[in-house]
Amino acid sequence: MLLREVEYARPATVEEAVSLLGSYEGARALAGGQTLVNVMKARAAAPDVLVDLADLEDLRTIGFSADGLLEIGAMVTYTQLVGSSEVEVARPILAEVAATIADVQVRNRGTVGGNVCVADPTNHLPPLLLALDATFTIRGSDAERTVSADEFFVGVYMTAVGEGELLTKVSVPPSSGAGDGFAGLTIGKHGTYVANAAATVSQEGVRIALGCVDAVPVRASSMEERLAGGDFSDDAVQGAAEGLGASLDPPSDAHGSGDFRRHLAEVAAARAVLQAASRRKAA
Amino acid sequence: MTTVTEQPARTLEKGYVGRSIPRKEDKRLVQGLGTFFDDVRRHGMGYVHFVRSPYAHAKIVSIDVSRALELDGVYGTITGDEVAISTDPFFEMSVEPGGNIKDYALAVGRVRHMGEPVAAVCAATRELARDAAELVEVSYDPLPVLVEAEESLKDEVVLHDDAGSNVVWSGVFEWGDVDQALAEADHVIRIERLHFNRFSSTPLECAGALVEYDRGTGEWTLHCNHQMPGVGAIWMAPSLRVGIDKLRFVTQDIGGAFGNKICLHPQYVVLCLLARKLGRPVQWTEWRTDQHTANAHGNERTFLDVEVAVKADGEMTGFKVRALDDCGAFPRYEPLGCIIWAQVTPGMYGWRNIRVDFTQVCTNKSPVSPNRGYSRMQHLWLTERIVDIVAAELGLDPVEVRKKNYVKAEQMPYETPNGCVYDSGDYAAALDLVLDLIDHGSIEERRQEAASRGKLLGFGIGSTLDSGTNNFGQSTLLNPDLQFSGNNEAASVKLDIFGEVVVTLGTVPQGQGHETTAAQVVADILGCSPDQVNVRRGHDTWFNSHAGFSGTYASQFAFTGLGAVKGAAELLREEMVQLAAAVLQAPVEAIELSDGMARIKDGPEEAALPFMALGAIVNANNAFLPPDFNPTLNHRYVCRPYFGMVDTEKKTGQLTLTYATQIHAAVVEVDPDTGEVEIVDYAAVDDCGVRINPQIVEGQVHGATAHAIGAALSEEFVYDEEGTLLTSNFYDYHVPHAMDMPPLKTGAMESPSPVAPLGAKGMGEGGGGGIHCICAAIQDALATVGKPIVATSCNPPHRVWAMLRDPESSRAGVAVVSK
Amino acid sequence: MAAPAASHGVSVEVNGEQVELEVPARRLLVHFLRDDLGLTGTHVGCDTGNCGACTVHLNGEPVKSCMLLAVQADGARIATVEGLAADGELTPLQRSFNEHHALQCGYCTPGMLMSATALLERIPRPSEEEVRLALQGNICRCTGYVNIVEAVVAAGGAA
Repeated sequence: MLLREVEYARPATVEEAVSLLGSYEGARALAGGQTLVNVMKARAAAPDVLVDLADLEDLRTIGFSADGLLEIGAMVTYTQLVGSSEVEVARPILAEVAATIADVQVRNRGTVGGNVCVADPTNHLPPLLLALDATFTIRGSDAERTVSADEFFVGVYMTAVGEGELLTKVSVPPSSGAGDGFAGLTIGKHGTYVANAAATVSQEGVRIALGCVDAVPVRASSMEERLAGGDFSDDAVQGAAEGLGASLDPPSDAHGSGDFRRHLAEVAAARAVLQAASRRKAA
Repeated sequence: MTTVTEQPARTLEKGYVGRSIPRKEDKRLVQGLGTFFDDVRRHGMGYVHFVRSPYAHAKIVSIDVSRALELDGVYGTITGDEVAISTDPFFEMSVEPGGNIKDYALAVGRVRHMGEPVAAVCAATRELARDAAELVEVSYDPLPVLVEAEESLKDEVVLHDDAGSNVVWSGVFEWGDVDQALAEADHVIRIERLHFNRFSSTPLECAGALVEYDRGTGEWTLHCNHQMPGVGAIWMAPSLRVGIDKLRFVTQDIGGAFGNKICLHPQYVVLCLLARKLGRPVQWTEWRTDQHTANAHGNERTFLDVEVAVKADGEMTGFKVRALDDCGAFPRYEPLGCIIWAQVTPGMYGWRNIRVDFTQVCTNKSPVSPNRGYSRMQHLWLTERIVDIVAAELGLDPVEVRKKNYVKAEQMPYETPNGCVYDSGDYAAALDLVLDLIDHGSIEERRQEAASRGKLLGFGIGSTLDSGTNNFGQSTLLNPDLQFSGNNEAASVKLDIFGEVVVTLGTVPQGQGHETTAAQVVADILGCSPDQVNVRRGHDTWFNSHAGFSGTYASQFAFTGLGAVKGAAELLREEMVQLAAAVLQAPVEAIELSDGMARIKDGPEEAALPFMALGAIVNANNAFLPPDFNPTLNHRYVCRPYFGMVDTEKKTGQLTLTYATQIHAAVVEVDPDTGEVEIVDYAAVDDCGVRINPQIVEGQVHGATAHAIGAALSEEFVYDEEGTLLTSNFYDYHVPHAMDMPPLKTGAMESPSPVAPLGAKGMGEGGGGGIHCICAAIQDALATVGKPIVATSCNPPHRVWAMLRDPESSRAGVAVVSK
Repeated sequence: MAAPAASHGVSVEVNGEQVELEVPARRLLVHFLRDDLGLTGTHVGCDTGNCGACTVHLNGEPVKSCMLLAVQADGARIATVEGLAADGELTPLQRSFNEHHALQCGYCTPGMLMSATALLERIPRPSEEEVRLALQGNICRCTGYVNIVEAVVAAGGAA
């Protein structure tokens, strides 16, 4: 409940932030703090330096790139996502899911960047962004690079953001008629997920991503292939989900065994796909 | 939302008792001006952090505090070795060998549960104390870990060498002739195993204290949130080797307790020792993780080899069971839980032939404490599970089985097989009220409608008794050498020089609105308004308004707490009337107290004295009073409920005095794919006799319901094989939030208690009705998919899914043998 | 605060008054309010940011002060429960809590009031569902939320 000693800095620009992160070995970026501060209270992590991103206005914007990608700054809060007309128009599933994260207080502080950089396997956004084929822009001291979702999520609490680097934005393709779905089982209403799945149905086909079952969000590729034919009836989708669980090796804990999660993954995947299919609009 | 249906047994007289007046406590609490123990500061105080064991079971090889002491700002430390020298082990209630357990304020030589305090550090700030704790080096030799009670029973690994066995207590309770009842039964239902899961009410405010030591007088003052200081002092004083008056407990506002703040004496003794050793006030705040890991769980109980005797017409004539209770690493308040359940031996039912073979063992888990519903809840869950399983197996309607077997209103007061007396109640009428509130007639229709949406709908009833006002003599049924019997509570009421009425209570309110209800009672007796009655906040040893058993627990405030207030107020009233009679020169019978005045009934307006006048006379202007008349206007009263003695041979007696009824009903929808249970409708009827403040009573029903819903669907203290608690914070130990609560309908009845001073029964605990009805509803929902048996009290999705996936396994332990 | 330091001077407006104090970087906002400023109305109920007993307003928005460092509040406006009743005059919401028996032990109450006050500023006449959503981050172990929700709806006048 009480943190170890730490040094704190609040830079005014992204360049300063990146420089600070690169200059101190034990430096961590502080975004909303809804996870990091708890981790530090438990003393499970004790960074030497906290680089507070609060003043970096450049990271708080939501807008569109020249190619029409929805660009969400890393410091955009869940509350901002929920209230954004850009998100509403371009990819409303983001707002819909963000609205179910924890509670109002957490949503007022928690950020998109924090959610993905924490890379907790039970977080909401990683499987969703993988299904949506989002890309992640990372700024280093001398360069900026953009990586895909598969490349971004590397392991439990581990992402492609290296030392001295900062995630600056997440870019999401606009729906363009695609239907999106998200389903799973939580511990209580708006609680932590035990198993979840995100799905997108578009003219390009189906993308299904599972959370909670592995170190990183995983694509349910076999299930996607089985649905390539475009039949999204109840039977077809349930049938396509069969066997998905057997291909997974999820963890066991107080909320369920590996077997239970295997089963839930199938249920969540089917429900997410059915929801996505029902929302798809003709091109 | 909520509807209240009232069926009062008497008409409301003029007065405040019986009215839902808004609470006096609220004014300070809504402004954030309450004083909880962590709000109290003292100059020069040190903050304490406990060094806790990372092992569930281990020998302590060495403790080195030197690095901690080197840290700037650290005031000092204390370890188990020091504690073993300067204190005596705490008083144990059990017989041998369990009674030989040595329980000290810190672990001595060995740790027996994860999180057990091993040493304590005191420093200038909270953060420094935390830092210093990390510098204390403790080396351990791990020992094998026991997390299953059935394993512990084998005594292959023994937790307490002084006892030589893990059995804290065991005994057989037998009344009537259950073997004959089983032989004569038309049906015998056997249930191999039922398990009541480990959980607790986890109050939002954690435990803690700020302790000051006065070197001149050798007295400690504890600004704390101990909810039963009378008993706390009985444990602590002998351990500290001091007289009981050396401990002053001061409580102010307390953020909930629910039984979790009864066994705080080990930590408090550490604070007392540190305060004395370091010569400064010391403060300890328990953190949430510590509360879950190492403070107080509710009793975990396994019921084995249940056999139930049932006649062809559905009459249940008896049952027997082997109960195995898991009290964690140290008994402390146990083994009282081994008898407390006997307050409700037959539950709500009329069966007369009962055998309970009860054993309690230690394991390497957190010690238990009397959690809300203490021990009765577990037993009532058993009886309700029995009723629903019997009904399901014999194809009977659980409503009809209950009505047939409930103790009838005409039988009240009803003596149970073990000599307890159910004072009043009409269980069938309460059940009818619940069925009405939940629109029982529409259940089958709702079942179809839910099925069309792919959901399994189920309906369940949970009938429960909240037994209140304990007879501590029941402890002699466990250990005949214990010198405890009866019960008591005290209160003082005085009239001050300026006419202020001041009340001090022996109880320790933690949200039950004692200041308000006490004021209502006093106002009616003295003929003034509750606004004119100042009830001092909290409990203070120096109020001298407490007795040996003082505290707020065991659903007894309405009886003993208010009984003491009533007694003191009546003594005061009598004196006020006599004094007014003397001053107004009228006979005593002609005096009445009303509107804050003492006046001659129907007399002239001038023949009246304000309270202030009476107070002023006695305190400052008393020369004219006759020598033989010496009013004090300051009265302390001890309410001593009368029980009679218990029979230790037959294990019978009046173990408690009042029995409030709560009948709950739930309608649930189960998602057959995920095992998720949603409560779509819920009703609860409470009958606690006269309701001093109906709104406060209803609030307690809401709160007890929420606790039960949490316990039924998500709250469980889950351990792995190494004795690590996996649900040590609110992420994993999920309690109901605002969106988790179903629409709640409540109803009330009033069957006044013939034995309680105000006809009001205690009712705060509730008896776990919500757990019982949700288990029943889940079982009903799954009846069409293999008829699994709900055999655990907590059923989160993974357990429901296990029943859905393999109903046969869950049925394996149930058998019906019919003639 | 451009350079990392283990303690910083912070300037915060708390309940309308400016406060300037040097604080360790590691100090949580809730402890700053309680221990440094003596505003003990804001409470600590858990270790993991779930219970909401520590809820305050940061620049007008409800946040959990146990998941903020005091240094993060530099330059910000904080409102705590002590700032609700001006000169001891209870707000309609506070009075509604009293009328509807929306508190028992009172420990969660400051957090509930701060969350509900923020809600009523956003949605003056909230429905029951909107109230439950707004209070989802505030745990109560005494009341079962029934009367709390009733009190907030009533204060909004939508009852």
